[in-house]
Amino acid sequence: MKPSRGWFAAKRIVSAVPLVFGVVAATFLLTRLLPGDPAAFFTNTPGAGAAEIAEVRHNLGLDRSLPEQFVIYLVNLAHGDLGQSLISGQSVAADLMERLPASLELTVIAFVLACAVGLPLGIFAALRPGSIIDHTCRIVSTAGVSTPVFVSGLLLIYVFYYLLGWAPDPVGRLDPYLNAPPHLTGLLIVDGLLAGDLNSTLSSVKQLILPSATMALFALAPLARMMRGSMIAVLGSEFIRTARALGLPRRKIIMTYALRNALLPVITTLGMVFSYMLGANVLVEKVFAWPGIGAYALNALISLDYAPVQGFILLMACLYVVLNLMVDLIYSFIDPRVGLAE
Amino acid sequence: MDRRRFLTGSASMIGGALTYATGSKEAVSQSRGETLRALGSGAPNTLDPQSTSGIDRPAQGAIECITDRLVTFGTKTGSNGVDHYDYYNVMPALAESWQYSSGGTSLTFKIRSDATFHDNSPVTAEDVKWCLDRMVSQPSTRGQMKAGSLEKPEQFVVLGAHTLRMDFSRKDNRTLPDLCHPYASIVNAKLAKKHITEKDPWASEWLKNNPAGGGAYKIASWKPGEEVIYVRNDNWKCGPKSAFQRVIYQVVPEAANRRALIERGNADITLDLPPKDVNDLEKASKLQILSVPAINGFEFVAMTTTTKPYDNVKIRQAVASALPYAEMFKAAIFDRGKPLYGGPEGKPTSINWPTAFPYRTDLNRARKLLAEADCPNGFETTFVFDQAQADVGEPASILIQEALGKIGIKVTIEKQPSGEMGSALQSHKIPFYYQRSAAWLNDPVYAFEIFYQGDWRWNLGNLKDAELDKTIEAARFETDNTKYDAMCIRMKEIAFEQVPTIMLWQPFVDVIAQKDIAGYRYMPHRQIDFRTLRRV
Repeated sequence: MKPSRGWFAAKRIVSAVPLVFGVVAATFLLTRLLPGDPAAFFTNTPGAGAAEIAEVRHNLGLDRSLPEQFVIYLVNLAHGDLGQSLISGQSVAADLMERLPASLELTVIAFVLACAVGLPLGIFAALRPGSIIDHTCRIVSTAGVSTPVFVSGLLLIYVFYYLLGWAPDPVGRLDPYLNAPPHLTGLLIVDGLLAGDLNSTLSSVKQLILPSATMALFALAPLARMMRGSMIAVLGSEFIRTARALGLPRRKIIMTYALRNALLPVITTLGMVFSYMLGANVLVEKVFAWPGIGAYALNALISLDYAPVQGFILLMACLYVVLNLMVDLIYSFIDPRVGLAE
Repeated sequence: MDRRRFLTGSASMIGGALTYATGSKEAVSQSRGETLRALGSGAPNTLDPQSTSGIDRPAQGAIECITDRLVTFGTKTGSNGVDHYDYYNVMPALAESWQYSSGGTSLTFKIRSDATFHDNSPVTAEDVKWCLDRMVSQPSTRGQMKAGSLEKPEQFVVLGAHTLRMDFSRKDNRTLPDLCHPYASIVNAKLAKKHITEKDPWASEWLKNNPAGGGAYKIASWKPGEEVIYVRNDNWKCGPKSAFQRVIYQVVPEAANRRALIERGNADITLDLPPKDVNDLEKASKLQILSVPAINGFEFVAMTTTTKPYDNVKIRQAVASALPYAEMFKAAIFDRGKPLYGGPEGKPTSINWPTAFPYRTDLNRARKLLAEADCPNGFETTFVFDQAQADVGEPASILIQEALGKIGIKVTIEKQPSGEMGSALQSHKIPFYYQRSAAWLNDPVYAFEIFYQGDWRWNLGNLKDAELDKTIEAARFETDNTKYDAMCIRMKEIAFEQVPTIMLWQPFVDVIAQKDIAGYRYMPHRQIDFRTLRRV
């Protein structure tokens, strides 16, 4: 009997538990293995001596043995407590919850933008290999991948904000003189629309344009390349030749038969690109002063602030599990041959 | 709905939105005159003046504005017309007056009877006493308070609702300046005490996130790591009313963007621009460049005197004679600072500190010193700098490598993350490195106490010099000015000769502001004091 999708999802989530535990243990160990003593780092005012450092170390619980610290961490984790961030002074859970929507909003928009441009570009390039559109695809994707995000970001800012003055100042998610809409989802566009606050919605859309374009430029390349490659392979396969020989309309051949089959590897790439964008957009966040989770975790890592780093990696691990599951489910919708059983 | 009707409908909707947006923009721009938009690279990590987990510079700046201290620094105008705090002129703040007893062993403060906290409750001597007790108890502030002879809760005695006495074993000139800094800020004890728990006797958990002061500004919103919005406290009694009704402080990590915002006029004032950008802006002269050499700060190269081969004073002098000072000054900070090299040789004439060291690039002298140290062919060494200070560390290290190579010293350059380097400095494991530092108290003896003796990290070259230790101790409470000056001069001589740290320069602290902003003054924490700013 073919197992249901719900059963499949439940099984997958349960089987992810050891994986997440492994991630928790590994990040705990890794952060402790980093050279440097947080107590010394955070007691860095002249006048603080060994006694003061020892006291701060005790307050941070870092004077206990590693297994002891790990057990305390696990117990806190079970209570939903991810620890305290020393650099922001807030609880990590609160920090991540505050910042995740900012990262999600940016990533989703950039992702949609990248798909909207990248997939058609790949498809058209595959339909007319060697044509101008194919070359455009190649140039855009090469340039997108080879330009570091901070370069393209700063370039866009320089042209559209500094020179032309079309874009709003590249700082944060909202015009600083406006009040944020009441916090419901944390996604400013959604919150703004829900509150009927057109002003702040418009402002948050404007603030999103440059950073999401920067990110999309970067994410475009793998999508367009993958789409093109996969489409060319499918178009050359025998069932397409048969379909053509049978005189099926071109539109039907491309959209129904070719595209659907070509999408399978692209979906996998999409999942990877999305999760990569979510976690690795540190540079975009830095350039645009975007209060997301990537920049947060990087700052914490540099400052020997363990808890946010661990919290961030745990969050990313969980998101990856969910995303992978979603990719597999979408797979099964697109291709009924893909079994859900192991 | 057909397509055409949908399109016209949405077009009018967008049009409506646009008029709506422009309409309210006028209202916004009216209030912009009263609003200051300031930018910086860092965010406050706490609102607790005595936080146990470290207080970063932006937090010190925030605390300066949202709380008061018993006393405050006066203002002095520098030679380039830019104001800075005056360490030697302590002025009333929460305390309207103070009086030393005849022997100087007790100090009585009269606290303003009209001063209130942000919740409108009066500031009493009990509040002040609790905060002072807290300052001398918390590990992060204890050492700093001790530097001003403030050590034990028993020293602070409440005499009345608005009178408080401090007792000392002897008079200390550092007590009053020590009380002017953000770490000595007074918060609402009545409020804080409600949040005391058995594990947290000083309500640190609560004070971290809750501004409980009575300062010139209140916090309207605080997004950690991102933005602080202040509104003026119209009931403030400790100084003249501030001009800006609202202040928006935003964190913009990218220096290029801070520059773009201030150049396009979207921000009023910004901190933390690299010296190269400041030079460009100075040439363009469309903005105000408010530069003050970091009065209490200095940048240096240190040699740990307890490691080989730097245990030999001749080696240290050789290195100090070989550094390419002028090139470093130019390449690293684009001449934006006050050189602390190439000072006059011979006996020091002033007690000023930090001061220019009598070393200049002289490779022949360096070679001679190396030969005298039985090391004519040089040696191999590693030069370390902090990743977070790569702006100077990177160019400086390459120039040092090249210059020392000429006298046979082979330098390997190593860049370390801040946390790692900080811990290694704690145990004096790094033989040769670049760092920057600053002291809260500008008293020369204090600088020697912190940076030239002791077992802690702040003994920058881990110097162990019996004569220096003795002189520091003798000078600590010396009241005879002639003797005091003689001792300070002797300490400087030892520092020049032993040279565990090679002073490089005092960097300019550059603040960039629009031409209509006035009233800036340099504060010891290098953040913007919003209270004195105004639009002209």
